[in-house]
Amino acid sequence: MDCKTVNDTLDDYIDGALSTADTSTVSEHITHCGDCRSIVNAARKLQDLLKAYGDTDVPTATAAFYDSALLNASRNGTRAQHRYLWLKGFGSAVAAGMALWIVSGLFFKTPEVPAAAIPVVTLALEEAHTINLVFSSSIDLVDATLTVILPTGIEIAGFEGQRKISWETSLTAGRNVLPLRLIATSPQGGEILATLRHGDDDRSFRLQVKVI
Amino acid sequence: MSGAGINQSEVFERVLRPHMERLYRLAFRLTRNKSEAEDLFQDVLTKTFGQLDDLLTVRDAGSWLNRVLYNRFIDNKRRYARQRLVTVAEANLPQQSIEALAGNSDPVRDIERLENIMRLKSALDLLSDEHRTVILLHDTEGYKLSEIQKLTGDPIGTIKSRLHRARARLRELLQESGTFSGS
Repeated sequence: MDCKTVNDTLDDYIDGALSTADTSTVSEHITHCGDCRSIVNAARKLQDLLKAYGDTDVPTATAAFYDSALLNASRNGTRAQHRYLWLKGFGSAVAAGMALWIVSGLFFKTPEVPAAAIPVVTLALEEAHTINLVFSSSIDLVDATLTVILPTGIEIAGFEGQRKISWETSLTAGRNVLPLRLIATSPQGGEILATLRHGDDDRSFRLQVKVI
Repeated sequence: MSGAGINQSEVFERVLRPHMERLYRLAFRLTRNKSEAEDLFQDVLTKTFGQLDDLLTVRDAGSWLNRVLYNRFIDNKRRYARQRLVTVAEANLPQQSIEALAGNSDPVRDIERLENIMRLKSALDLLSDEHRTVILLHDTEGYKLSEIQKLTGDPIGTIKSRLHRARARLRELLQESGTFSGS
Protein backbone atom coordinates (compact mmCIF):
# COMPACT_ATOMS: atom_id res chain seq x y z
CA MET A 1 0.00 0.00 0.00
CA ASP A 2 1.32 3.46 -0.84
CA CYS A 3 1.00 6.73 1.08
CA LYS A 4 -1.68 8.11 -1.25
CA THR A 5 -3.92 5.11 -0.64
CA VAL A 6 -3.40 5.47 3.11
CA ASN A 7 -4.41 9.11 2.87
CA ASP A 8 -7.47 8.27 0.74
CA THR A 9 -8.67 5.62 3.19
CA LEU A 10 -7.70 7.51 6.34
CA ASP A 11 -11.28 8.32 7.41
CA ASP A 12 -12.49 4.76 6.95
CA TYR A 13 -9.43 3.47 8.80
CA ILE A 14 -10.04 5.79 11.77
CA ASP A 15 -13.78 4.97 11.77
CA GLY A 16 -13.15 1.22 11.64
CA ALA A 17 -14.96 0.97 8.33
CA LEU A 18 -12.22 -0.82 6.36
CA SER A 19 -12.15 -4.57 5.82
CA THR A 20 -9.91 -6.59 8.11
CA ALA A 21 -7.41 -7.10 5.29
CA ASP A 22 -7.23 -3.41 4.40
CA THR A 23 -6.96 -2.43 8.04
CA SER A 24 -3.97 -4.73 8.46
CA THR A 25 -2.36 -3.31 5.33
CA VAL A 26 -2.70 0.26 6.57
CA SER A 27 -1.43 -0.69 10.03
CA GLU A 28 1.54 -2.43 8.46
CA HIS A 29 2.29 0.61 6.28
CA ILE A 30 2.29 3.12 9.14
CA THR A 31 4.64 0.89 11.11
CA HIS A 32 7.28 1.71 8.52
CA CYS A 33 6.21 5.15 7.29
CA GLY A 34 6.80 8.02 9.71
CA ASP A 35 4.87 10.58 7.66
CA CYS A 36 1.75 8.45 7.42
CA ARG A 37 2.08 7.51 11.09
CA SER A 38 2.04 11.23 12.00
CA ILE A 39 -1.06 11.81 9.90
CA VAL A 40 -2.87 8.85 11.46
CA ASN A 41 -1.86 9.97 14.96
CA ALA A 42 -3.10 13.49 14.27
CA ALA A 43 -6.39 12.05 12.95
CA ARG A 44 -6.80 9.94 16.10
CA LYS A 45 -5.95 12.89 18.33
CA LEU A 46 -8.56 14.96 16.54
CA GLN A 47 -11.18 12.25 17.15
CA ASP A 48 -10.28 12.21 20.85
CA LEU A 49 -10.51 15.99 21.05
CA LEU A 50 -13.87 16.04 19.28
CA LYS A 51 -15.27 13.44 21.69
CA ALA A 52 -13.88 15.35 24.69
CA TYR A 53 -15.41 18.53 23.28
CA GLY A 54 -18.76 16.77 23.23
CA ASP A 55 -18.42 15.88 26.90
CA THR A 56 -17.59 19.39 28.05
CA ASP A 57 -19.34 21.78 25.76
CA VAL A 58 -23.08 21.23 25.81
CA PRO A 59 -24.79 23.05 28.69
CA THR A 60 -26.98 20.79 30.77
CA ALA A 61 -30.67 21.27 30.28
CA THR A 62 -32.36 20.79 33.63
CA ALA A 63 -35.39 18.65 34.33
CA ALA A 64 -37.29 21.88 35.05
CA PHE A 65 -36.45 23.16 31.58
CA TYR A 66 -37.74 20.00 29.93
CA ASP A 67 -40.91 20.03 32.05
CA SER A 68 -41.53 23.67 31.22
CA ALA A 69 -40.88 23.08 27.51
CA LEU A 70 -43.43 20.25 27.42
CA LEU A 71 -46.02 22.34 29.25
CA ASN A 72 -45.53 25.34 26.97
CA ALA A 73 -45.74 23.11 23.92
CA SER A 74 -49.06 21.59 24.93
CA ARG A 75 -50.41 25.00 25.90
CA ASN A 76 -49.29 26.88 22.79
CA GLY A 77 -49.56 23.90 20.49
CA THR A 78 -53.22 23.52 21.49
CA ARG A 79 -53.82 27.16 20.64
CA ALA A 80 -52.23 26.64 17.25
CA GLN A 81 -54.53 23.67 16.65
CA HIS A 82 -57.75 25.32 17.69
CA ARG A 83 -56.93 28.90 16.79
CA TYR A 84 -59.74 30.43 18.84
CA LEU A 85 -59.48 32.32 22.08
CA TRP A 86 -62.47 32.71 24.33
CA LEU A 87 -63.07 36.28 25.28
CA LYS A 88 -64.04 36.82 28.87
CA GLY A 89 -67.78 37.52 29.06
CA PHE A 90 -68.46 36.63 25.41
CA GLY A 91 -70.49 33.46 25.29
CA SER A 92 -70.79 32.59 21.60
CA ALA A 93 -69.97 29.10 20.41
CA VAL A 94 -67.09 28.69 17.99
CA ALA A 95 -68.51 28.39 14.51
CA ALA A 96 -67.13 28.24 11.02
CA GLY A 97 -66.81 31.64 9.47
CA MET A 98 -64.71 33.88 7.37
CA ALA A 99 -61.35 34.92 8.74
CA LEU A 100 -61.61 38.60 8.09
CA TRP A 101 -58.55 40.66 8.57
CA ILE A 102 -55.25 40.44 10.33
CA VAL A 103 -53.30 43.16 12.04
CA SER A 104 -49.63 42.35 12.62
CA GLY A 105 -46.82 43.97 14.50
CA LEU A 106 -46.46 45.83 17.75
CA PHE A 107 -49.46 47.36 19.42
CA PHE A 108 -49.15 51.10 19.17
CA LYS A 109 -51.18 54.23 18.24
CA THR A 110 -51.76 54.24 14.53
CA PRO A 111 -53.96 56.10 12.11
CA GLU A 112 -57.10 54.21 11.21
CA VAL A 113 -57.20 52.03 8.16
CA PRO A 114 -57.79 54.15 5.04
CA ALA A 115 -61.22 53.82 3.42
CA ALA A 116 -59.85 52.01 0.37
CA ALA A 117 -58.56 49.18 2.57
CA ILE A 118 -61.75 48.60 4.59
CA PRO A 119 -62.93 45.02 4.10
CA VAL A 120 -66.50 44.31 3.08
CA VAL A 121 -68.77 41.45 4.11
CA THR A 122 -72.18 40.62 2.74
CA LEU A 123 -75.03 39.37 4.91
CA ALA A 124 -78.37 37.98 3.90
CA LEU A 125 -81.27 39.84 5.55
CA GLU A 126 -82.46 38.22 8.82
CA GLU A 127 -79.91 35.37 8.55
CA ALA A 128 -77.16 35.04 11.15
CA HIS A 129 -73.58 34.79 9.87
CA THR A 130 -70.41 34.41 11.90
CA ILE A 131 -67.53 36.67 10.99
CA ASN A 132 -64.15 36.05 12.65
CA LEU A 133 -62.14 39.08 13.56
CA VAL A 134 -58.49 38.09 13.85
CA PHE A 135 -56.19 40.20 15.98
CA SER A 136 -52.51 39.45 15.78
CA SER A 137 -50.13 40.79 18.35
CA SER A 138 -46.44 40.24 18.78
CA ILE A 139 -46.79 40.54 22.58
CA ASP A 140 -49.27 39.52 25.27
CA LEU A 141 -51.81 42.25 26.00
CA VAL A 142 -53.37 41.83 29.41
CA ASP A 143 -56.53 43.72 30.41
CA ALA A 144 -57.39 45.17 27.04
CA THR A 145 -60.87 46.49 26.19
CA LEU A 146 -62.54 45.61 22.94
CA THR A 147 -65.50 47.79 21.88
CA VAL A 148 -67.68 47.10 18.88
CA ILE A 149 -70.03 49.83 17.59
CA LEU A 150 -72.71 48.63 15.19
CA PRO A 151 -74.66 50.57 12.58
CA THR A 152 -78.44 50.69 12.76
CA GLY A 153 -79.91 47.46 11.40
CA ILE A 154 -76.97 45.22 12.33
CA GLU A 155 -76.94 43.27 15.60
CA ILE A 156 -74.76 40.73 17.36
CA ALA A 157 -76.60 37.56 18.36
CA GLY A 158 -77.13 37.58 22.10
CA PHE A 159 -76.89 41.38 22.29
CA GLU A 160 -80.12 42.31 20.54
CA GLY A 161 -80.96 46.01 20.59
CA GLN A 162 -77.43 47.03 21.65
CA ARG A 163 -75.34 49.15 19.31
CA LYS A 164 -72.24 49.49 21.48
CA ILE A 165 -70.79 46.43 23.21
CA SER A 166 -67.54 46.26 25.19
CA TRP A 167 -65.53 43.35 26.60
CA GLU A 168 -62.62 43.25 29.01
CA THR A 169 -60.21 40.71 27.60
CA SER A 170 -56.58 39.70 27.24
CA LEU A 171 -54.76 38.85 24.05
CA THR A 172 -51.85 36.49 23.80
CA ALA A 173 -48.93 36.92 21.45
CA GLY A 174 -50.00 35.46 18.14
CA ARG A 175 -53.43 35.21 16.60
CA ASN A 176 -56.55 35.88 18.66
CA VAL A 177 -59.90 35.29 17.09
CA LEU A 178 -63.16 37.01 18.01
CA PRO A 179 -66.12 35.34 16.33
CA LEU A 180 -69.03 37.76 15.84
CA ARG A 181 -72.42 36.28 15.00
CA LEU A 182 -74.04 39.10 13.03
CA ILE A 183 -77.65 39.49 12.00
CA ALA A 184 -78.88 42.13 9.55
CA THR A 185 -82.34 43.29 10.64
CA SER A 186 -82.67 45.87 7.87
CA PRO A 187 -81.34 46.10 4.30
CA GLN A 188 -79.46 49.33 4.89
CA GLY A 189 -76.09 47.89 5.99
CA GLY A 190 -73.35 50.17 7.29
CA GLU A 191 -69.97 50.24 8.95
CA ILE A 192 -68.93 48.32 12.06
CA LEU A 193 -66.20 49.96 14.15
CA ALA A 194 -64.11 47.70 16.43
CA THR A 195 -61.67 49.42 18.80
CA LEU A 196 -59.04 47.63 20.85
CA ARG A 197 -57.74 49.70 23.73
CA HIS A 198 -54.79 48.80 25.95
CA GLY A 199 -53.55 51.38 28.44
CA ASP A 200 -53.12 54.63 26.54
CA ASP A 201 -52.96 52.93 23.16
CA ASP A 202 -55.83 52.05 20.93
CA ARG A 203 -56.37 50.78 17.46
CA SER A 204 -59.58 50.86 15.45
CA PHE A 205 -60.70 48.60 12.65
CA ARG A 206 -63.59 49.16 10.26
CA LEU A 207 -65.74 46.61 8.52
CA GLN A 208 -68.26 47.50 5.83
CA VAL A 209 -71.45 45.41 5.89
CA LYS A 210 -73.66 45.05 2.84
CA VAL A 211 -77.07 43.39 3.11
CA ILE A 212 -78.74 41.46 0.32
CA MET B 1 -56.25 11.46 18.44
CA SER B 2 -58.60 14.16 19.65
CA GLY B 3 -61.62 13.17 21.59
CA ALA B 4 -63.10 12.94 25.02
CA GLY B 5 -60.98 11.08 27.62
CA ILE B 6 -57.66 11.19 25.71
CA ASN B 7 -55.13 13.48 27.32
CA GLN B 8 -53.00 14.73 24.47
CA SER B 9 -50.47 16.31 26.79
CA GLU B 10 -49.76 12.99 28.50
CA VAL B 11 -49.40 11.16 25.21
CA PHE B 12 -47.14 13.91 23.90
CA GLU B 13 -44.90 13.73 26.94
CA ARG B 14 -44.66 9.94 26.76
CA VAL B 15 -43.60 10.08 23.13
CA LEU B 16 -41.17 12.99 23.52
CA ARG B 17 -39.36 12.18 26.78
CA PRO B 18 -37.00 9.47 25.43
CA HIS B 19 -35.78 11.82 22.69
CA MET B 20 -35.56 15.15 24.45
CA GLU B 21 -31.97 15.09 25.56
CA ARG B 22 -30.66 14.10 22.14
CA LEU B 23 -32.92 16.69 20.53
CA TYR B 24 -31.63 19.39 22.85
CA ARG B 25 -28.03 18.45 22.12
CA LEU B 26 -28.75 18.67 18.41
CA ALA B 27 -30.28 22.13 18.91
CA PHE B 28 -27.14 23.23 20.73
CA ARG B 29 -24.80 21.73 18.17
CA LEU B 30 -26.58 23.57 15.40
CA THR B 31 -27.06 26.94 17.08
CA ARG B 32 -23.89 26.83 19.28
CA ASN B 33 -25.68 29.13 21.68
CA LYS B 34 -27.59 28.13 24.82
CA SER B 35 -30.47 30.59 24.60
CA GLU B 36 -30.94 30.02 20.87
CA ALA B 37 -30.84 26.28 21.42
CA GLU B 38 -33.55 26.60 24.08
CA ASP B 39 -35.68 28.76 21.76
CA LEU B 40 -35.26 26.35 18.88
CA PHE B 41 -36.02 23.37 21.10
CA GLN B 42 -39.19 25.02 22.47
CA ASP B 43 -40.27 26.08 18.99
CA VAL B 44 -39.96 22.52 17.71
CA LEU B 45 -41.83 21.04 20.65
CA THR B 46 -44.69 23.49 20.15
CA LYS B 47 -44.81 22.72 16.43
CA THR B 48 -44.66 19.00 17.11
CA PHE B 49 -47.58 19.13 19.54
CA GLY B 50 -49.71 20.40 16.70
CA GLN B 51 -48.53 17.44 14.59
CA LEU B 52 -48.97 14.79 17.25
CA ASP B 53 -51.10 12.62 15.00
CA ASP B 54 -48.28 12.50 12.44
CA LEU B 55 -45.66 11.79 15.10
CA LEU B 56 -47.61 8.81 16.38
CA THR B 57 -47.60 7.16 12.97
CA VAL B 58 -43.87 7.41 12.16
CA ARG B 59 -41.64 4.42 12.79
CA ASP B 60 -38.60 6.33 14.02
CA ALA B 61 -39.80 9.22 16.19
CA GLY B 62 -36.25 10.28 17.09
CA SER B 63 -35.19 10.76 13.47
CA TRP B 64 -38.47 12.47 12.66
CA LEU B 65 -38.02 14.94 15.51
CA ASN B 66 -34.40 15.58 14.57
CA ARG B 67 -35.45 16.27 11.02
CA VAL B 68 -38.12 18.77 12.14
CA LEU B 69 -35.56 20.54 14.31
CA TYR B 70 -32.92 20.61 11.60
CA ASN B 71 -35.37 22.03 9.03
CA ARG B 72 -36.54 24.65 11.51
CA PHE B 73 -32.93 25.62 12.17
CA ILE B 74 -32.26 26.02 8.44
CA ASP B 75 -35.44 28.12 8.00
CA ASN B 76 -34.46 30.39 10.88
CA LYS B 77 -30.92 30.72 9.58
CA ARG B 78 -32.20 31.89 6.23
CA ARG B 79 -34.36 34.50 7.94
CA TYR B 80 -31.89 35.73 10.51
CA ALA B 81 -28.40 36.30 9.13
CA ARG B 82 -27.23 37.73 12.44
CA GLN B 83 -27.21 34.27 14.02
CA ARG B 84 -23.61 33.52 13.17
CA LEU B 85 -22.39 36.69 14.87
CA VAL B 86 -24.16 35.72 18.07
CA THR B 87 -22.60 32.27 18.18
CA VAL B 88 -19.09 33.55 17.57
CA ALA B 89 -19.42 36.18 20.29
CA GLU B 90 -20.34 33.53 22.85
CA ALA B 91 -17.59 31.05 22.00
CA ASN B 92 -16.18 30.73 25.52
CA LEU B 93 -16.11 27.61 27.62
CA PRO B 94 -18.65 27.83 30.44
CA GLN B 95 -17.28 27.75 33.97
CA GLN B 96 -18.85 24.37 34.74
CA SER B 97 -16.79 22.76 31.98
CA ILE B 98 -13.58 23.78 33.69
CA GLU B 99 -14.86 22.21 36.90
CA ALA B 100 -15.77 19.04 35.02
CA LEU B 101 -12.15 18.59 33.91
CA ALA B 102 -10.67 19.36 37.33
CA GLY B 103 -11.30 15.82 38.60
CA ASN B 104 -8.13 14.57 36.90
CA SER B 105 -5.18 14.26 39.26
CA ASP B 106 -2.78 15.91 36.82
CA PRO B 107 -3.61 19.65 36.75
CA VAL B 108 -0.96 20.44 34.12
CA ARG B 109 -2.43 17.90 31.76
CA ASP B 110 -5.92 19.21 32.54
CA ILE B 111 -4.90 22.72 31.54
CA GLU B 112 -3.25 21.49 28.36
CA ARG B 113 -6.37 19.52 27.48
CA LEU B 114 -8.54 22.53 28.16
CA GLU B 115 -6.36 24.70 25.96
CA ASN B 116 -6.56 22.14 23.15
CA ILE B 117 -10.34 22.10 23.40
CA MET B 118 -10.43 25.89 23.24
CA ARG B 119 -8.24 25.80 20.14
CA LEU B 120 -10.54 23.18 18.67
CA LYS B 121 -13.51 25.44 19.34
CA SER B 122 -11.79 28.33 17.56
CA ALA B 123 -10.92 26.06 14.64
CA LEU B 124 -14.52 24.86 14.41
CA ASP B 125 -15.63 28.49 14.12
CA LEU B 126 -13.55 28.78 10.98
CA LEU B 127 -15.27 25.90 9.20
CA SER B 128 -18.26 26.41 6.94
CA ASP B 129 -21.65 25.69 8.52
CA GLU B 130 -22.04 22.47 6.52
CA HIS B 131 -18.59 21.17 7.48
CA ARG B 132 -18.98 22.09 11.11
CA THR B 133 -22.44 20.53 11.34
CA VAL B 134 -21.37 17.21 9.83
CA ILE B 135 -18.22 16.85 11.92
CA LEU B 136 -19.98 17.74 15.17
CA LEU B 137 -22.86 15.41 14.48
CA HIS B 138 -20.63 12.50 13.39
CA ASP B 139 -17.49 12.79 15.49
CA THR B 140 -18.83 14.57 18.56
CA GLU B 141 -22.43 13.42 18.87
CA GLY B 142 -21.93 9.96 17.34
CA TYR B 143 -24.52 10.19 14.58
CA LYS B 144 -24.09 7.55 11.88
CA LEU B 145 -23.77 8.71 8.28
CA SER B 146 -27.23 7.27 7.56
CA GLU B 147 -28.71 9.31 10.43
CA ILE B 148 -27.12 12.48 9.11
CA GLN B 149 -28.48 11.62 5.68
CA LYS B 150 -32.01 11.32 7.12
CA LEU B 151 -31.56 14.63 8.89
CA THR B 152 -30.21 16.74 6.08
CA GLY B 153 -31.57 14.92 3.04
CA ASP B 154 -28.09 15.09 1.45
CA PRO B 155 -26.63 12.02 -0.30
CA ILE B 156 -24.29 9.82 1.78
CA GLY B 157 -21.44 10.51 -0.66
CA THR B 158 -21.79 14.26 -0.11
CA ILE B 159 -21.84 13.81 3.65
CA LYS B 160 -18.73 11.59 3.57
CA SER B 161 -16.94 14.08 1.38
CA ARG B 162 -17.83 16.97 3.72
CA LEU B 163 -16.66 14.95 6.71
CA HIS B 164 -13.36 14.15 5.04
CA ARG B 165 -12.75 17.81 4.14
CA ALA B 166 -13.82 19.03 7.56
CA ARG B 167 -11.42 16.66 9.32
CA ALA B 168 -8.56 17.57 7.00
CA ARG B 169 -9.19 21.27 7.49
CA LEU B 170 -9.38 20.93 11.28
CA ARG B 171 -6.11 18.97 11.37
CA GLU B 172 -4.50 21.71 9.30
CA LEU B 173 -5.79 24.46 11.61
CA LEU B 174 -4.79 22.61 14.75
CA GLN B 175 -1.32 22.00 13.40
CA GLU B 176 -0.98 25.71 12.67
CA SER B 177 -2.01 26.49 16.24
CA GLY B 178 0.52 24.03 17.62
CA THR B 179 -2.03 21.55 18.95
CA PHE B 180 -0.73 18.86 16.62
CA SER B 181 2.89 18.46 15.69
CA GLY B 182 4.31 16.85 12.55
CA SER B 183 3.02 16.78 8.97
